[in-house]
Amino acid sequence: MKKKRRTLGKALMILMIAFFYLPILYMIIFSFNDGKSLTSFTGFSLRWYQHMLESQDMMTALYTTFSIAILATIVATVVGTVAAIGLSSSRKVIRNIMEQVNNLPMMNPEIVTAIGFMLLFITFKVEKGYVTMLLAHIAFCIPYVMLSVMPKIRSLDPNLADAAMDLGATPFKALTKVIVPQITPGIVSGALIAFTMSVDDFIISYFVTGSGVKNLSIVVYTMSKRVNPSINAVSTLVVVIITIVLLVINLAPVIAEKRVKKGGAVKRKRWVPAVAVCCVLVVAVAALQRGGITGKDRPFEGQTLHIYNWGEYTGENIIGDFEEETGATVVMENFDSNEQMYIKVANGEAYDILVPSDYMIQRLIEEDYLQKLDKSKLDCFDKLSDAVLGLPYDPNNDYSVPYFWGTVGIVYDKTKVDIEDLEREGYNIFLDQKYRGDVYLYDSERDSFMMALKALGYSMNTENEAELNEAYEWLVQCVETMDTEIVTDEIIDNMAQGRKALGLIYSGDASYVMAENEDMGYFMPETGTNLWSDAMVIPKNAKNPDLAHAFINYASDYDGAYDNSSYVGYTSANQEVMDDLSGEGGDYEGINAYIPRTGNENDEVFEYNADTKKIISDLWSRVKIAASNAG
Amino acid sequence: MKRFSKLAVPYIIWAALMLVLPMALIAMYSVMEPGNSIISFSLTLDHYIKFFTDPDFLLILWRSLLIAIKTTIICLILGYPAAYFIARSSEKVQNILILCITIPMWINMLVRTYAWIGLLSEGGIIQRILGIFGLGDVELLYTEGSVLLGMVYNFLPFMILQIQTSLSKMDHSLLEASADLGASPAQTFRRVTLPLSLPGVINGITLVFLPAVSSFFIPKLLGGGQYFLIGNMIENQFITVGEWNFGSAISMIMAVIMMLLMMLVRKIETRNQGGKGAKA
Amino acid sequence: MEEKKLIEFRNIVKNFDGQIVLKGINLDIYENEFVTLLGPSGCGKTTLLRILGGFLDADEGSVIFDGEEISKKPPYERELNTVFQKYALFPHLSVYENIAFGLKIKKMSKDVIDQKVMKMLKLIGLEGYEDKNTTLLSGGQQQRVAIARALVNEPKVLLLDEPLAALDLKLRKEMQYELKRIQQEVGITFIFVTHDQEEALTMSDKIVVMKNGEIQQVGSPEDIYNEPANRFVANFIGESNIIPGTMVEDYKVRFDDITFDCVDFGFKENEPVDVVIRPEDIDIVDVKDGKMTGEVLSVLFKGVHYEIMVETVPGTSVTVNMRVIRNQDVKSEDGKEMISANDFYVDIDDVEELDDKEIIALSNAQAWDPAADELISIAKVEYSLEKEEGKYPVTFSTSNGTSIERNIYVVDQPFVKNEKANEGVMAFNFFKTVDEITESQALDTDLKTWAGAQGWKLSNEDESVDLSVDYDFEPEDVKEGVYQITFSTTGREFKIHTTDYTEEGQEVGLTFFPEDIHVMSKEVF
Repeated sequence: MKKKRRTLGKALMILMIAFFYLPILYMIIFSFNDGKSLTSFTGFSLRWYQHMLESQDMMTALYTTFSIAILATIVATVVGTVAAIGLSSSRKVIRNIMEQVNNLPMMNPEIVTAIGFMLLFITFKVEKGYVTMLLAHIAFCIPYVMLSVMPKIRSLDPNLADAAMDLGATPFKALTKVIVPQITPGIVSGALIAFTMSVDDFIISYFVTGSGVKNLSIVVYTMSKRVNPSINAVSTLVVVIITIVLLVINLAPVIAEKRVKKGGAVKRKRWVPAVAVCCVLVVAVAALQRGGITGKDRPFEGQTLHIYNWGEYTGENIIGDFEEETGATVVMENFDSNEQMYIKVANGEAYDILVPSDYMIQRLIEEDYLQKLDKSKLDCFDKLSDAVLGLPYDPNNDYSVPYFWGTVGIVYDKTKVDIEDLEREGYNIFLDQKYRGDVYLYDSERDSFMMALKALGYSMNTENEAELNEAYEWLVQCVETMDTEIVTDEIIDNMAQGRKALGLIYSGDASYVMAENEDMGYFMPETGTNLWSDAMVIPKNAKNPDLAHAFINYASDYDGAYDNSSYVGYTSANQEVMDDLSGEGGDYEGINAYIPRTGNENDEVFEYNADTKKIISDLWSRVKIAASNAG
Repeated sequence: MKRFSKLAVPYIIWAALMLVLPMALIAMYSVMEPGNSIISFSLTLDHYIKFFTDPDFLLILWRSLLIAIKTTIICLILGYPAAYFIARSSEKVQNILILCITIPMWINMLVRTYAWIGLLSEGGIIQRILGIFGLGDVELLYTEGSVLLGMVYNFLPFMILQIQTSLSKMDHSLLEASADLGASPAQTFRRVTLPLSLPGVINGITLVFLPAVSSFFIPKLLGGGQYFLIGNMIENQFITVGEWNFGSAISMIMAVIMMLLMMLVRKIETRNQGGKGAKA
Repeated sequence: MEEKKLIEFRNIVKNFDGQIVLKGINLDIYENEFVTLLGPSGCGKTTLLRILGGFLDADEGSVIFDGEEISKKPPYERELNTVFQKYALFPHLSVYENIAFGLKIKKMSKDVIDQKVMKMLKLIGLEGYEDKNTTLLSGGQQQRVAIARALVNEPKVLLLDEPLAALDLKLRKEMQYELKRIQQEVGITFIFVTHDQEEALTMSDKIVVMKNGEIQQVGSPEDIYNEPANRFVANFIGESNIIPGTMVEDYKVRFDDITFDCVDFGFKENEPVDVVIRPEDIDIVDVKDGKMTGEVLSVLFKGVHYEIMVETVPGTSVTVNMRVIRNQDVKSEDGKEMISANDFYVDIDDVEELDDKEIIALSNAQAWDPAADELISIAKVEYSLEKEEGKYPVTFSTSNGTSIERNIYVVDQPFVKNEKANEGVMAFNFFKTVDEITESQALDTDLKTWAGAQGWKLSNEDESVDLSVDYDFEPEDVKEGVYQITFSTTGREFKIHTTDYTEEGQEVGLTFFPEDIHVMSKEVF
């Protein structure tokens, strides 16, 4: 009976440990996968490690993660210990109040704490970045340190300090020679907790960061929408680092003990090796990260360019090449949506280049966030396709230089979807019960409403509330009856894998999907679509407009534009690049999605209207909630 | 040690700035008209009214609470026996098992959650294994199940460690005393072990429930775009919509609900402790 | 009172990690007895109790309870209850709920439980405490609740595992009476484990003295106190004077060279024995009336009585000179080697037995490498000694030729004889440097070695006598010069408890009755 229960417990334990380690094991294995797939292992390779080492983003993130963790741990441990000693001798009222205050970050949902920090920094106009992240980390780590130091202090003999001072120690000596050694175990475990919390933190970092400073969590979060096995590689690296640290912590005392037995008196300080290892790691990562070329005589040597761009929107080499050529450092920050970008810009965060979409550019111009381009510094306009120049949002291209352009359409699996259905129904195929459970919607308020409005035969720039409401009803019907999944960039890989039959998609993503899977097709309903373009602009508060202009030239030039378009799959604004890629032998030969449709009178370009924007925004979040509640 | 009380002063100032002030700011923003600066602002309860009058928002809140409750219950059901097993093992085995459980916690939560995407996705290992049993068509990723799994995966260790701590702190002689008084092992468990491990259980529940309610990256990564919880709603308000005032109001609502729930749980705990002033 | 065997331990053996904790215990316990298992910690008494309670399984042997073998029964099926060392009260339950715990397990009806618990609360004098939280009670109160919690189940036997250990002295005394009263009131067997002999003597009907997993003696408190089976029991139970002696014949025992009448018999003729005389059994009388005489060494007032130490046989002592000299280390020319040694004395009778090794040891000659702090062996010892008093040079040198010269003094050292005590003591003058004294870890022992001090029995030169050392310098700041060191034996001292005051230093006679002499076999190890 007893034995049986024991075996049952053992089985449970084994299963549970398997559960805990399965994802980690999986991650490690797939970091060596030759292919890009996350599901099938196609062969051993180190390419993702190479990719990771080349990726500035990841190495910087690794450095940021560990340097912040170490700094925050050190500061939090010192401050926390001193504060705990101070508080333990303070009056009870103060002690109780502070206990409650310390509970705030621990007993509050983390997101609330994070928002608190964010509002704090915004309200007092502290520029968000490394320092704010560090401050926030210190702030939430200190309570944990105090929590683990306090009980140790409480169990101290209260006369200890007095005894030390009675014997002639100064208060400082009494503190460092008597009190601190007594509570060292508490301090060490507090420091370990602080370190773990800091390394592991995502939510708080996510809300308080800025200026392109990212830790590993943020990188994973922003990259996770597209399959990127480098995440596995960098995660494996973290696993290795942590394992080494843990091994050192656990083995060092054993080794030290052996040495003691041999005769030498070695103090058992578990944390010394751990800290040493961490420091070595940070230095190593920092070296890896900084160890680049240090050539001279380049025009922008030592300067920094802050770009705020869509995620996965640049080629593999363009940034590196640009840095090499100019000597500048590029800090790239990514956004998911124009709105996300707008909020940061409106908040006064300084970037040198933004890559917003048409209607957002219009809004930024209207709200006076952009500076006019210095056309004398630009040599790119004649290389660009006429179709993307002089569009209504910026008729004379005074503010913007097109980057990518394209359409929105339906990606479909030719083996599952009858092309006749598509041609007959257009966007209304998203209400066709035949395809129930087999459709993706894209999480973009404008394009979802574009689809609904076009399906209903209205203009996508309508200001008529009745029409908008009708579109809302259309979308609600869609999410409620079609068992849809609302996705963002996951659609790219999922459609490339043929997981669903239909999806609303950007033409550039469709190009990529079709290049990966030839069963896939791209269809633009006759009722019209969104002819969009994303363009590079320079905000008013840009710190380095000259460098920004240089980058605009670089990205519009053949090499840069080719790299971008070939890697990302979006249609280049550079006419020559577009022709080459879609032409014979080009990456996107025969892929209709790559060439934007021209000449359909129902196609429109988005215009910005603050009122409709607000209505659409609100209605779309309701659609999402309806979808969520329907599921 | 009175003379050291001055050492607390810097921290008190820091805590006021970095811990109390942010909360005050959230509270303030939540009752401010949009666009007001903190120097001149007018009060409004619109944001709260907006939240509480919209059944959709309430449904989201309810669903967030529900999934957190489910997560907590599953963690409790899985975590208690595991913790019990660990606490009953020899000290050496205990240390090893605890290390086994804590190591994954050292690895970034997001990274671990991300790994589940590959495991659960269509054509992934788990689906293939299920396929052997003829369940290959079951959709795993982007379902409530996958969100639940992600939460249990991330928060289960907290539950296990808390319960294990309280169980192994328990004086073994209490169990002997119970057996001595005629209680069978099952009765001993129900009447002594379980009530005495309650503080650990409560701590575990807190540590699981709290992040589960407010988590937004787990639903976003494993639930897909249509899986919306209160945490996502707050994130959305701040990151994409930009309505900080409304976002602050939701945060306040969530913080208050959490506080009330935690107070309730503590109350249940003290009632169960019998008599007043029971020590945890 | 003792009617029926309730518990029988049969050959109980228990190992913990290969260490034998119980070596085959056989013990019977009767109904309504207050039995105490007494012994120092680690003697196995608690283990035995836990085996009876069912918390441990014996490796061998059987436990028979009320005629039934219960070794395999789990604790919850045994009809006995335990009061645990630290009470093990359930912290999540109130006083009432703690006491009612066992009854609720038995699914008794609410009003029966109520009745029983109230009765118990009354028995332990804690009426009105039923709703209190147990963690807020005082130690004594917790103790009572633990007893009530056990007794309410009406066990046939109550096991108590050092229940009073955590209480302060006054409370402990109170609880001793309280426990005895409760036992008499409920009329069941109590098995009580303690290491406190006084507790055992106060409360028990029967005491089981244990040591190293074996039972030393079983008997009533009077038996154990008055007729301890061996030196261990005598020492453990109360204070005693234990004197080695010989049993001359039945009823005649000889110690300290005097033959006394006694009431013991059955030993072999001239068998070496231990003699116990309790301090309170000795009376101080005039010198002429005493069976022994001696000098009062000390008088301590102990409240009810005086504790007087009387030396009946004086110790023997010898005083020697210690010459503390300057450090005279010799450094080799290249500075790589250092060498040191002391002058020393040697008895003329021992000269012939001296060899190099002994000379090095006696002179404490050392050579070392000061840089590496490593010892170098002494390669050569040159000397010429004659069996005649005088001063003889000796040279120590290393293989590299670093050398030092010292003197050996051959003397005819007389030793001190003490016929009365049958002891001889001898020691030599010696030379030491300041460093050697201040660096000594155990100075007393070192002084004995350095002085070659020894004590022995005159009747048997191979039997050595312990020496104590006395000096009047501070070892930490000793300076060069001559110091006197006294080595002495203790002699025979008797401890006497009496209500009559006596002056220190007075000559007195000691007397006792033949029946106060308890003769025990020598303990065999």
